[in-house]
Amino acid sequence: MIQFAALDWFWLVIFVLLMTFSGVFFYRLGKRSQADFFLAGRGLPWWLPASSVYATHTATDTPIWIGGVIYKYGLAGLWYAFFSAWCAISAFASARIFRRSLAYTQAEWQSLRFSGLGAELLRGWFAGWQVFMNMFILGWVGIAMGKVCHFLFGWPIWVGLVFFSSLVAIYVLTAGYWGVVVADFQQGVIAFFMIIITSIWGVMAAGGPEKITAKLNSIGQGWRLNPFHFTGTFTGDFPLAWFITMIVIAVLGGFGMGTSIDWYVEAQRIQSSKTVKDASYSIWWGTAFVLFRNSFWAAAIIAFFAMFPHLTNPAEYEMAWYVIGFKVLPVGMVGFFFASILAIHFSTISTHLNLGAMYFTRDIFQHYIKPDASERTLVWVGRITTLVLLLGSFFYGLMMEELTSWLIFALWIMAAGVWLPNILQVIWWRFNSWGYLTAWIANLGLSWLVVWVLPAFKVIPSLPDYVQFWILMFLGALIYIPVTLLTPPEDMDHLVKFYVMSRPYGWWKPVKREAIARGLIKEV
Amino acid sequence: MAFIRTKWTPEEAEEWTREDIIIWVLSPISYVLISVGSALSIFLIPIGFLLLALGVIVTIVLFAIANPKLNVISGEYEKRQKEYLERLERITRWEE
Repeated sequence: MIQFAALDWFWLVIFVLLMTFSGVFFYRLGKRSQADFFLAGRGLPWWLPASSVYATHTATDTPIWIGGVIYKYGLAGLWYAFFSAWCAISAFASARIFRRSLAYTQAEWQSLRFSGLGAELLRGWFAGWQVFMNMFILGWVGIAMGKVCHFLFGWPIWVGLVFFSSLVAIYVLTAGYWGVVVADFQQGVIAFFMIIITSIWGVMAAGGPEKITAKLNSIGQGWRLNPFHFTGTFTGDFPLAWFITMIVIAVLGGFGMGTSIDWYVEAQRIQSSKTVKDASYSIWWGTAFVLFRNSFWAAAIIAFFAMFPHLTNPAEYEMAWYVIGFKVLPVGMVGFFFASILAIHFSTISTHLNLGAMYFTRDIFQHYIKPDASERTLVWVGRITTLVLLLGSFFYGLMMEELTSWLIFALWIMAAGVWLPNILQVIWWRFNSWGYLTAWIANLGLSWLVVWVLPAFKVIPSLPDYVQFWILMFLGALIYIPVTLLTPPEDMDHLVKFYVMSRPYGWWKPVKREAIARGLIKEV
Repeated sequence: MAFIRTKWTPEEAEEWTREDIIIWVLSPISYVLISVGSALSIFLIPIGFLLLALGVIVTIVLFAIANPKLNVISGEYEKRQKEYLERLERITRWEE
């Protein structure tokens, strides 16, 4: 249990008021239109969505799992968090194409890239899945906050979940994405500086850099400062083959859309940027700060290891960064530290409330239920959906223990077999909606077989996750590539409009030739 | 013609060119250098400072290459954005 001094409470109350009500001030802008409620009118300079990318991807559970991998693998554990490097390519590749499409969501993008019934099936699937996923993430992150508050103050777990998510909902309901992005900016700044201060404080508490290095060497743990320390090429629990697979998934994934679960959040930031250039810079810089932050966290965890090198229970060492913050920081700073935890929590919750509501409002309500809805109606539907997502997240959060392992499996299977189709939809004109739909369905069945069923019946051994990835990718391709080639290509008129607007890279020659023949673009 | 172009016509900027490929190579390298360089620098390991400095240099070069082309693409696209937004609404409302 933590005891707060008066100064701690002062910081905490000030920051909670600031974070909650600065968003509310943008009420008038948020209610103007659907584009304002979900994309801040598509007019943001790059640094605002960049700070939002950073703030959203800093959640209460992030230091917990980074703490776990760094404590186990030393600085090499940084690569676990390096998957966000898909933005390295995406910022200058798929983000540009997506921004030019102007689609509110990845679901809407399906009806621009593909045509006919297949496109509508994809749009409906993406919209429903994303509404569910955002509710799930809200529950997941919310319950993490409940546990943190239980650990710190002894509150029942539901209190931290319900109280703080409800506070966030105040500014998301009133100002929509305007509230989200403005609050994210302050929350990002608060969290960034507090992570740096706490981590440096932790390093100094462990005796400073030289003493930590000396201590690690003296107990034969000097390898922990080598970011390229692997357990073998294919052997051990941290092999080079895993590293190479992760780099391929992350970096090449940047040429596609949706190759990372974070894409859906970034897509909203991309569309809210005022120009194509702002969109590129926003996700590049947002991610650069995420990686920079990871390095500070890693240093703090290494310092923690130097102080407590013999912990074997993950529940103890995964909380390393929180322990540093609450045990090492002086009186007064602890309240500031807790405010920064609230900042990272608020930013993640607000994003997913607004994002889930956008998928429902734009892709389900407006497209399928009431196409002629007024802007005022759409904003109100956005607000009601936000409220429903909030209530649903309480329900999910409180039953999370049983669900988590299943849903993490669901996330994983959605990543493996559709990784390549997510790229093909961008780079290959001939890839059609039926091929893409088949990829999603095939992946569902194949994942169950390869990950659970076949190992359970001893048909194949239980495989490392990076091997499962390659197998699922290959097996899936054996199904969706023939389906693509055996079904007709997308309508050429539709493809030409898409090409002229988005100018994708890769294999688009027949479409480009047609666009030139129609005088829509010039040959260079 | 210079190896790296800094002047673009709107039509040329729309194409994916050598400059884009260079950016795609430099960008992940920059992330790796910043990540590893900062972590090692906190422990005052000399190679960390070197990697971090290289990361900063690569980032500056990266944006020096990307910026002129993105400026032209953005400017040109802005002129047509209104028309594209109208089409987007028509598709969502089943009018196209």
